[in-house]
Amino acid sequence: MFQLSHEPLIPWPVASDSAGGFVTFEGKVRNHANLRQVLRLEYEAYDDLAISEGEKLVAEAVERYRLESATVVHRVGLLEVGETAVIIQTAAAHRREAFAGCEWILDQLKHRVPIWKKEYYADGDSGWVGADAPGPNPELEAQLTQRQRRLAEIGDDGQVRLKAARVLVVGTGGLAAGCLPYLAAAGVGQLGLIDDDLVDLSNLHRQILFTVEDVGRLKVERAAQFVNRLNPTVEVHRHAERLTEVNADRFVASYDWIVDGSDNLPTKFLLNEACRRHGKPLVTASVHGFEGQLLTVQPDGPCLRCLFPTAPASRCVGTCAENGILGVVPGILGMLQANEVLKGILGYGELLSHRTLLLDLRSGETMSLSRTANPGCPVCGGGTDISDPCEVASMSEAHARLGVFIVVDVREPDEEPTISCDHVRLPFSTLDDLPEGNLVVVCETGTRSLRVAARCLAGGRTNVVSLRGGVASLAEYEPR
Amino acid sequence: MSAKNVTVRYFAVLRDRRGLGEETLSTESDTVGDFIRELVVRYRLDLAPALIRAAQDGSFVDDSTPIRDGAQIVLVPPVAGG
Ligand SMILES: [Zn+2]
Repeated sequence: MFQLSHEPLIPWPVASDSAGGFVTFEGKVRNHANLRQVLRLEYEAYDDLAISEGEKLVAEAVERYRLESATVVHRVGLLEVGETAVIIQTAAAHRREAFAGCEWILDQLKHRVPIWKKEYYADGDSGWVGADAPGPNPELEAQLTQRQRRLAEIGDDGQVRLKAARVLVVGTGGLAAGCLPYLAAAGVGQLGLIDDDLVDLSNLHRQILFTVEDVGRLKVERAAQFVNRLNPTVEVHRHAERLTEVNADRFVASYDWIVDGSDNLPTKFLLNEACRRHGKPLVTASVHGFEGQLLTVQPDGPCLRCLFPTAPASRCVGTCAENGILGVVPGILGMLQANEVLKGILGYGELLSHRTLLLDLRSGETMSLSRTANPGCPVCGGGTDISDPCEVASMSEAHARLGVFIVVDVREPDEEPTISCDHVRLPFSTLDDLPEGNLVVVCETGTRSLRVAARCLAGGRTNVVSLRGGVASLAEYEPR
Repeated sequence: MSAKNVTVRYFAVLRDRRGLGEETLSTESDTVGDFIRELVVRYRLDLAPALIRAAQDGSFVDDSTPIRDGAQIVLVPPVAGG
């Protein structure tokens, strides 16, 4: 019997009255290969082919070594050092056959069964080793893309351009669920996926690349599998990490088009800057409730910060978890993102590079608002980067800005625990007047407190700030 | 100063906080920036005015742009979800 498993492997008990020798071999991930330090491994298989080849191999071993039984279970997916990659178990009348059969299966497995191994090294590099990665298959490609090649705007030439294109999709959530399938199906040659998140049940109403069975698994891994099932000729690069200031340049530089499928403003701004530095086009979208917004940033066109030169506090508009989101909204926006990328690669139509598209899925209405470069843009113009005036990142920043202040906790009465330093408690839901003087407002996450500070600022009061990170950020604060 | 009638559309979090998507208003504000500040205070939109962008008659404009009588104004906040 030959099986593939996404779950950790555990040796199973063996029993047979007629066998005298049982061999159980466990192959594990070790921390080095060819003098390089290995952090983890990834196994990928063409499931059906791997299983049918594996079954043939096992049958052959049984015959050749007169085994009573042989069982092979191979892991697929991401494995950490120390995890079991394969278990081979043989049973025979005598030990010699059981040992020999087990070793033979192991040797043959590497050459005959289409399972690919990727090593992730400590220096950040990674590479497929052993057997080749899913290879070119021109015939399959030609059949998959037959109908779109009929379009005069695409044709065989366009298909060659798609095959040569490398597209990075940052975030494998709701926007990617709309975008990735169409990019893969259109025959984009290489797709890079970045996300360090795991699938959660609360994702599934919009992140439809995943199923209930995927809960707890890495999103990039499951998304990559979805893509390769749809189109096995796409080369998928998985990056199970967060986009940061440290790695953004490396990622952006390695792709031709960047799709922002992230769910937070800092990542969107980070991508906007990195794309500008490397002269890469960016398709960014974001969603809220029943509404979505989409725009494309060309290397020489107006950028995202031209529109929003003041960097908003990340919590200023809440998150999908706080605001709620209709599943089809990111799906539709993600498809529109795929269309922008295809337009860019193939050259049809007109990119949203000087417009912002707003969609209201309640009414089905769209608005296309024109936008131009802003000379005061902190990224592509001469402006300086100013952040949201309503927020401080820490209590020491609050001290620096305000000197002496009162802490105001705007959480509701049932929210616990009570904060330990001197404070005034004024629940957000019934908040009316605030005390005079300098105030640092806190809540659980920093969302409600930011609203309070913004309200004050709009009313002309500049001595009220919100503490980023909420009550947790108060923890390190020691009142003097 | 003279009163101008404008149609305002609220997008995303501004719509949530205003409690409606569109309305016609009379304003004494001269510029788009003044108008944004006026609405933020009047309707407790709870966002720093500097973070709100306005489009007048289909184009994003900067805060110093005069408000046109009869204008269609769309207010767009940053949108984060994905
Ligand atoms: Zn710019």
